[in-house]
Amino acid sequence: MGKLLAARFVRLLATLFAVTLVSFFMVVLLPGDPAVAILGQDGVQNPELLQQVQDELGLNDPLHVRYGDWLGKAVRGDLGDSYTNRGQSVADTIADRVPVTAQLAFMAILIAVIFAVPLGVIGAYKQGRWPDKATSASAQVALSVPNFITGIFFIWLFAVKLNLLPASNWNRMSNGLGANLKTAIMPATALALTQMAIFSRLVRSDMIATLQENYILAARAKGMSDRFILFRHALRPSSLSLMTIVGINFGALLGGTVVIETLFAIPGLGFRLINAISQRDIQVIQGITVFIAVVYVVINTIVDLLYIAIDPRIRRK
Amino acid sequence: MRKQQVFRLLALLLTFALVAAACGGSDNEAAEETDDNAEVDSGSTDSEPEEEAESEDEAEPKEEVVAAGTEAEGDVDTEVAATEEGTIRAQGGEIAVGLEAELVGLRPWEDTCGSPCMNVLPTLYDKLMESTADGSYGGWLFTSIESNADFTEWVGQLREGVTFHDGSALTAQTVADMFPVQQEGATSRGQIAASNLGDVTATGDFEVTYTMTAANSAFPAYLSRAPLGMVFEPSSAAADIDAFNENPVGTGPFMFVSRDLDNETIVERNPNYWMSDSDGTQLPYLDKISFRPIPDEGTRLDAVLSGTTDVAHTLRQGTIRDGRNARDDGAEIFLFEFQGNNVGGGMFNLLVPPFDDVRVRRGLTQMNSQENVIEALGGTGISLPGTQWFSPDSVWYSEKAAAAWPQFDFAAGQATLKEYVDDPTRSDGKAVGESISTELSCPPDPTLIAAMQVLEQTWTASGLVDVELTNYDQQTHIGYALGGDNGFVGSHTTHCWRVANDEDPSTWLTPALSAPTAEIAEAAGLPGPSPLNWSNYWNEEVFANLIAATRTGDFDERYVLYEKVMLQLAEDVPIWFSGHTATALIVADELTGLASWELPDGTLGNGHPNAEGRWGQAWLDN
Repeated sequence: MGKLLAARFVRLLATLFAVTLVSFFMVVLLPGDPAVAILGQDGVQNPELLQQVQDELGLNDPLHVRYGDWLGKAVRGDLGDSYTNRGQSVADTIADRVPVTAQLAFMAILIAVIFAVPLGVIGAYKQGRWPDKATSASAQVALSVPNFITGIFFIWLFAVKLNLLPASNWNRMSNGLGANLKTAIMPATALALTQMAIFSRLVRSDMIATLQENYILAARAKGMSDRFILFRHALRPSSLSLMTIVGINFGALLGGTVVIETLFAIPGLGFRLINAISQRDIQVIQGITVFIAVVYVVINTIVDLLYIAIDPRIRRK
Repeated sequence: MRKQQVFRLLALLLTFALVAAACGGSDNEAAEETDDNAEVDSGSTDSEPEEEAESEDEAEPKEEVVAAGTEAEGDVDTEVAATEEGTIRAQGGEIAVGLEAELVGLRPWEDTCGSPCMNVLPTLYDKLMESTADGSYGGWLFTSIESNADFTEWVGQLREGVTFHDGSALTAQTVADMFPVQQEGATSRGQIAASNLGDVTATGDFEVTYTMTAANSAFPAYLSRAPLGMVFEPSSAAADIDAFNENPVGTGPFMFVSRDLDNETIVERNPNYWMSDSDGTQLPYLDKISFRPIPDEGTRLDAVLSGTTDVAHTLRQGTIRDGRNARDDGAEIFLFEFQGNNVGGGMFNLLVPPFDDVRVRRGLTQMNSQENVIEALGGTGISLPGTQWFSPDSVWYSEKAAAAWPQFDFAAGQATLKEYVDDPTRSDGKAVGESISTELSCPPDPTLIAAMQVLEQTWTASGLVDVELTNYDQQTHIGYALGGDNGFVGSHTTHCWRVANDEDPSTWLTPALSAPTAEIAEAAGLPGPSPLNWSNYWNEEVFANLIAATRTGDFDERYVLYEKVMLQLAEDVPIWFSGHTATALIVADELTGLASWELPDGTLGNGHPNAEGRWGQAWLDN
């Protein structure tokens, strides 16, 4: 176990190094000057001022020096300050936004799993018959429609037409759970639909394979009910793939909610990241990228460890 | 088996139906459904190949000159008028304002401030001067301002009895103490140089003297907006500018409450505000305002329609069109619309062949039909064609300049361009008869892409132009035009752009047409090149006229000078146009007061240019 953790840790460091290196060079090599974004047209009128801001930010230093400086501070936990929202540290920016994006991602995964598991079980149990075809067709539709289209539809239906939910922005938990959920439910559901489609298909195919196992036949022969067999004997061994995908997708959602956050004007990591890219706020881009990479690798490690915990066969190996 | 055959047949029929639907429909559908243009815009023509063939065969009639004072069909500008006598302006209430983008910061001398920001900062910070309905400037915190004979010194009289949100008094010394902070400010430094401001001193308890480094007859214009005109508490700003951003202190009608970046900035009523309305009621009327950045245009409008917010701020024609449609369908909203000097189109880089030759610029401009471009952008009935850097209802608009602008005439444009192409001494070094090449570049906005493609088709149809279409994000787009690493010459050729605003022309026209390179600046005796001369246009006489316009305070004299500038620009064609920019504040029906706000002396203000609302005099009429 110790060896496993050590190997995972080394992999994490290597991944982080690669991610930060690639993202740093990709962003700095883009045309566009952060100093211009900071100064705007009023400030740019003064070329000496432009030069001064570039020097203050180290924008004229060699790339390897800039990357080294950043890396040296990052390993000590200092991700620097935002170029455009000066005075705000990148760490504070991330800390402010992680709860929002994490809540969205968590809700999306939860909603998806809640609906996907029974849909997948039904599809497997009634394989080849109309319930299976109906759930498969629904999954196809959910996979085909981009989540921002679903989001636009939800806004039109639930906000404009039915006046049930707010069209935009975010109520933090401190404003009350009810108010928070009202602003979260539409974007989370829009994100959840695609996930639900993927999860239900996965559960279905794993369940179909599991239901063909001998011990299932034995359970039927003993007279156990179908429901008991499905949810007590078949579901658990069929969940391993689902767990992997849930973990991977949760990590992906942390960095993949940009479009939904922009559509619903939600102050999450994705929204801040897209603004940082358009403003060439390199510090924020680097910081958020590193954070997402860390979370992604950590989640995958946890998933691997959970595998061992859930499946005794892997433990014995 | 039979069931399977039925399903197969149904599937086949559905496939046929989908294919038929995809292949059918109008070729113009995409163009008609396109939304509006981004902050950097393109000029483009939406004409089908058939229409281009027609224009090649027969001469297009000259477009009529738009008369001064004209507005687009549908009366785009909401009338700015004083509140009717007897109107009850209710006190109280809270509103939520949906803005196009989040503010960079709350420090007017330090943080860039565009249209969304100019909805927020004036709630916190009063200005020294304000724009009036007739295009002049009146006192706000200044009761008056006067200059000496040669406009090298301005003396302003401050209003007495004004206090900051922290209770400290506003005096002349306060304004003088702002100056060192502004001298170090990222955005105010450039404006100090551009305005020729040398020093600010308190020459009395409430008297402020501005000493100029050179004459500037339009200096009050700089005191009517950020970064120089907004009054902030200087001691706390100087002590810690980052902390000031978390707790800004001004004299404005509202006080800062909280800021949740990317979500909400909240301000509340200043109970000690110095200003009252004409009935003696203390301002402001509203108790609280929440400003929320909602980048998606559709969501921002839906937020108003659903009651999530009370205001949708927009700089897009498409959203204005959608708002009008929603209102016509019964939505309880009102559109405060404005269309001013800001005009979309594009610019040529005059330092890059072949665009250093006026025949190329004129030819390409003549092959651009603004009417078709505006239609493609969804602006018919909303946006007027451009012929100069002033809108038809601007006091500076010139019908002479409008008549001089190269109107759409495809055949004439083609002939003009052919003159260059057949010229053995052509500047791009290509062989006689060989097409010119250009990179037509715009940010990746769907409407701009559609418009660009139409312009590309039009120019290509001439048989004389090879067009490469490119899209870059806004920062890259600006970076190519700025060209910081090549002496601010830029590396663009034909580049979507917007020009002009509604402030005094000297504040934006002079830097836009100043020396583009260090060599030219040195020869002209100027301190350096102007990075804001995006098209690298230089004409000594034009620049001399611009400087002369800052040496006189007489409107008629200035008008003649600016008219000469516009006439020369019509001759030299450094840019092309694709219609004036329409903006709007789309509000819930009960919110009003945005078109009727007044200066302290009762003069009517200038309404809501560029979708900038004056919330200090808005009220809920319910």
